[in-house]
Amino acid sequence: MKAALLLGILVGFAGVLAGAHLYPWVDHPRLPSRTSVVANGGRAETFLIHLPADRIQSAGAAAVGLRATAYPAGAELPPELGDAAFLAEHFKIRDADGQVIGIAARHWTEADGGPAAAWTLLIPSRGALFLAASGEAARRVDTALERAGQRAGQQWSGQLDVELAGAEVPGRIVGGSEEFARLGGTYRETWKITGVSPSGELRGTIALDTITARSAPL
Amino acid sequence: MKLTTGFVLGLLLGAAGGVAALYYNPLTEPDPPPPGDTDWALTYRFPKGDAIAFTHGAHGRLAAHPPGIEELWESTIGGAALAVLTLRDAAGAPAAFASRLGAGSPRTDLLLEGAVWSDSWLLTVPGEGSLFVRADSNLWPFLKEGVVPVWYLQRPWQGPAEYRPTAGPGTGDRAVVVGATGRFAALEGSAVEHYRLERFGTAGAEALTGEIFLRLEGQVAAAP
Repeated sequence: MKAALLLGILVGFAGVLAGAHLYPWVDHPRLPSRTSVVANGGRAETFLIHLPADRIQSAGAAAVGLRATAYPAGAELPPELGDAAFLAEHFKIRDADGQVIGIAARHWTEADGGPAAAWTLLIPSRGALFLAASGEAARRVDTALERAGQRAGQQWSGQLDVELAGAEVPGRIVGGSEEFARLGGTYRETWKITGVSPSGELRGTIALDTITARSAPL
Repeated sequence: MKLTTGFVLGLLLGAAGGVAALYYNPLTEPDPPPPGDTDWALTYRFPKGDAIAFTHGAHGRLAAHPPGIEELWESTIGGAALAVLTLRDAAGAPAAFASRLGAGSPRTDLLLEGAVWSDSWLLTVPGEGSLFVRADSNLWPFLKEGVVPVWYLQRPWQGPAEYRPTAGPGTGDRAVVVGATGRFAALEGSAVEHYRLERFGTAGAEALTGEIFLRLEGQVAAAP
């Protein structure tokens, strides 16, 4: 009886500790990665954002244009910011098949050396990917829409591709975490706009076309 | 029969001892270095004050902000959270904005590491540029002192409490900072965080002051 009790205590104690150590406490659902190998080396993967369905939050200085309208209402930047050129946008991101796989943040600002944009993509089952680029000029999307015939306060439909990174100099992949930890590379960012509502809400798709390759760890 | 009863009784006692050992396990207590005097300190109040937006996949458990914000309901992102924060300088003026994208980390190991949460920050100073921060936080002390008693045992919050949860992934258990654009483009560095949790209730943190201490090294770039 005593030996069985001691054996039970030992097994119970060790079992709980082993379970705490071995159990996969965090196991985010993962979809297959939609990647392809590119001819000159590296791995290509496209991330998509459907507008307006995938928009989580956005806000910016009025001078930045249509995209700066606070969404949802109540998510405005603090008034002390004044006219500082800044735009923050947050989205859900999808793979090439259109399945939601992560979330993303995009910041744009007008720095001393010119506009600059940066993305953080987080795919819980795979890690985070950090992107940076010489940003677009302020109101770049607005200007392209005006040239395509869109008028403020009016509905517009059509097909307009606006490249925000990659037209002259591609954006660069700065690094990331977990699966993306040792990756460098380049990316292109294209806003494929198919419509604008009278309130200024954009309809279309943002495509982030990445080409990644092994580099020094971040 | 006696042997079986003894074994089962021992199993229960041993399991209880194992749970107690995990609860008081010193290996899962974070011990990050303290911030330095010259670190760049930025603070925020959460949820009221400096949280522009907060959303997550913990439907019905945590409050999201502002009303109407899209929740992260898809299974692939249900374990993630997003906070958009105004960060203030020592004078209390808005100095930067941060998007904090986080999810539970596969590093989580309740015997050796604790409950690890991985955050990827995108931090921008308007007019100056952006930087990335990779921060792992060990939330085990907070889970023990806050979540378990308040959410599961219906006890009142015994705060306020202070936490220094940073647990890597950089050297010395510090977070990793990487410059992205503008004057931060060529910079690297590290960071630690500090929380003062004043009130915690059934809907999560009700009053929290967060601080991030950034230590930047390298040449300041002239262009993005």
